[in-house]
Amino acid sequence: MAAHEQHRSSAGLAGLLAEFASAEAVRAAASALRSAGWTRWDVHSPFPVHGIESAMGLRRTGLPWMVLAAGLAGVFLAAGMQLWTNGIDYPMIISGKPLLSLPTSVPIMFELAVLLAAMAAFLGALGLGGLTLFGHPAFSSPRFRRATTDGFFVFLSADDPRFDPAAAQTLLQSAGAVAVEPLQLDASSRQPPSAVYWALATTVVLAMLPPVLVTWYRTGPKPNPRIHLIHDMDFQEKYLPQGTSPLFADGRATRPPAPGTIAQGALEADEHLYTGKIAGQWATRFPVAPTAAMMDRGRARYAVFCAPCHGLVGEGGVSGITSARAVKRREPNWVLPLSLHIPTVREQPVGQLFHTITHGVRTMPAHGAQIPVEDRWAIVLYVRALQRSQNATLDDVPEAVRPRLRP
Amino acid sequence: MDALNPEKRMIPSAKAGAAAIGLFLVGLAGLGCAAALQFRQESSGGYFLHSYLVNFCFFTSLSLGALLFVTLQHIARAGWSVTVRRVAELLADNLAVMFPLLAPLVFTVLAGNGILYPWAVSESGAADHVLHQKQAYLNPAFFVARGVGYFVVWCLTARYLLWLSVRQDRTGDPKLTLSMERLSAPALILLVVTLTLASCDWLMSLWPHWWSTIFGVYFLAGAAVGALALLILLVVLLEWAGPLAGEVTIEHYHDLGKLLLASVAFWGYIAFSQYLLIWYANIPEETAWYHPRHSGPWAWVSMGLLVGHLVLPLFALLSRWPKRNRLSLAFWAAWLLVMHWIDIYWLVMPAYDPQQPRFGLSFVFCLLGMGAVYMAGFLWRCRNRSLVPLQDPRRHEALAFHND
Repeated sequence: MAAHEQHRSSAGLAGLLAEFASAEAVRAAASALRSAGWTRWDVHSPFPVHGIESAMGLRRTGLPWMVLAAGLAGVFLAAGMQLWTNGIDYPMIISGKPLLSLPTSVPIMFELAVLLAAMAAFLGALGLGGLTLFGHPAFSSPRFRRATTDGFFVFLSADDPRFDPAAAQTLLQSAGAVAVEPLQLDASSRQPPSAVYWALATTVVLAMLPPVLVTWYRTGPKPNPRIHLIHDMDFQEKYLPQGTSPLFADGRATRPPAPGTIAQGALEADEHLYTGKIAGQWATRFPVAPTAAMMDRGRARYAVFCAPCHGLVGEGGVSGITSARAVKRREPNWVLPLSLHIPTVREQPVGQLFHTITHGVRTMPAHGAQIPVEDRWAIVLYVRALQRSQNATLDDVPEAVRPRLRP
Repeated sequence: MDALNPEKRMIPSAKAGAAAIGLFLVGLAGLGCAAALQFRQESSGGYFLHSYLVNFCFFTSLSLGALLFVTLQHIARAGWSVTVRRVAELLADNLAVMFPLLAPLVFTVLAGNGILYPWAVSESGAADHVLHQKQAYLNPAFFVARGVGYFVVWCLTARYLLWLSVRQDRTGDPKLTLSMERLSAPALILLVVTLTLASCDWLMSLWPHWWSTIFGVYFLAGAAVGALALLILLVVLLEWAGPLAGEVTIEHYHDLGKLLLASVAFWGYIAFSQYLLIWYANIPEETAWYHPRHSGPWAWVSMGLLVGHLVLPLFALLSRWPKRNRLSLAFWAAWLLVMHWIDIYWLVMPAYDPQQPRFGLSFVFCLLGMGAVYMAGFLWRCRNRSLVPLQDPRRHEALAFHND
């Protein structure tokens, strides 16, 4: 082998390029070369030649298996991704479908199978065809340019273990070659042009820019506002709250309402009904006559809005579920709600109770925005009933019911 | 001139004619037996009409698929398929045999009894608002007119294509090929439209409340599978028997197998598309059609179709060698022909009995009877005709065709 190597390098011979007149001739030559036992050679033609695979003795490639594997990988990847994300990692019921449902996954399984199979077929065919080959000794022959128009060539490489220039020349000519040309080794031809390296390096540097910028801006506070690559609708031609406008003398864009303006439904002229006061003093009577229906309404609204903190009978403390939970969780800022049955609350006029519900007191929030005014008065009525029920004497109980009382 | 000798490419006419007449009589007897058995089982005739519809749609779809194949080959100017095209042309022309077999459907609809089609009851409009709304389309007179119209279009197209092709056998005029190509494009459009409407009329309107816009494509995909399967079986038989010997090579089987595989995948794609949309939207008026097919013994038929009509043949035909082996390709063609029949059965029979699939001796009589009539029609058409287009300008291309 050593002598052979020396022979090749001293000759500087890359191989022999033989040109043939037609597709039939090159196919016959391929059969001849194959039966003569040569192994390192290839056929170049401007179009696929029917039957060239069997003439050259090409084995079937593994590409179909690569495509099948990629397609199946797509199926299982898509199935796993969807079932894991939507069924296990972040279970979310969509349209009442089961969490681990196959039909919903099938479209993506199909798409990913097609995508990966197509990519495997495309890249696999290019890879198996030797795409990364940047140069070839045959390129040094002007004759070879016709391989893309009307020329049919066989290139016999000097790498072939049986290579012998004279014997190879004879064989190619006897196979019907119209011309046989020896080609010299060209060391640079197998190297990619330097422009390829520059393009790759530039791409890598440019690709690094976004992650570097993101990392830089995320390391700490920056004095400048963030970079708006895409403005979306962040900046619009409109006045914002507290903005200025040269149109008005005071320069304010937001205009105060004209004096005396009352919004629709905000007149609230009835002082007793809306504030719980009569001539500035707490009202001691209801603005509407209490009825059984009002009591029922008050009881229902009390259960919704008041009972979570004060408890269903108004004992305060931990009798309401919200209060009980806050105490159980040891919430540090929780203040226990008052009992509605302590003397200070019982002695308050109904107007003051109404005011407390409307505007809140101490840590109790205001409920005026949530509860319509009639419902607030109904709640006051029910609170009054609760207070009386918890402080009743035997005289308060009707005669008919008394026998049912337990001692 | 041996290649142009039609005698070598024919089934002897006397034999073909005798066999056709024999088969025709056997077929009529089979259909008679089926009718007698089924009417004894159920005097109203519902069982007979439903089983008749299954087989009528099955054999019609085979010929429609063959007509699709012929027009597609012309539009694509395909060279490889020339030597198998005549068999498909003869199968397509067999639509003329199916035309008179439309009669029982016509009679039951005109009788207005609703045994087969619930909308055909004369007073259905008054009781059912949906049917009342659909009456402009779903009424007996229009149904019959449409059915006749479809068959007239199909028979004329198939007969004209066959006539041009057979004429070329004698004259060798290459312009006839151009005529067939020019006819095929508009014919294909017309064919797909009429086929879609026919599938809606005959199969979808069994559930007049239900609809699916993809139903016609589903029927077309199944028809393509069935027709290719039958074509492969006939080509294998005719090559073995002589008329096609030397005219088809393993390369033709390979390409027919590829088309079969593609049709199977297409059928699966369409079937799942229809299922997924209805399953996902989950609207009762749409899911009502799938509900009986999802429950009880019918669920097994549905699963059987999924496995037998899609998964198994898809993977079995994926590789190269099963398509390049006459025996394995013929096996899968026969398998898919059976599956296509089950597919049509699955489309029709839940309308008769949503609880369980019904099958029995009378069903076999009906299938074999109509099959015998169908094959009799095919053999009758083979008389005096070469089974390959002798002077098609692309015949040499088909003979030299190679996949590599």
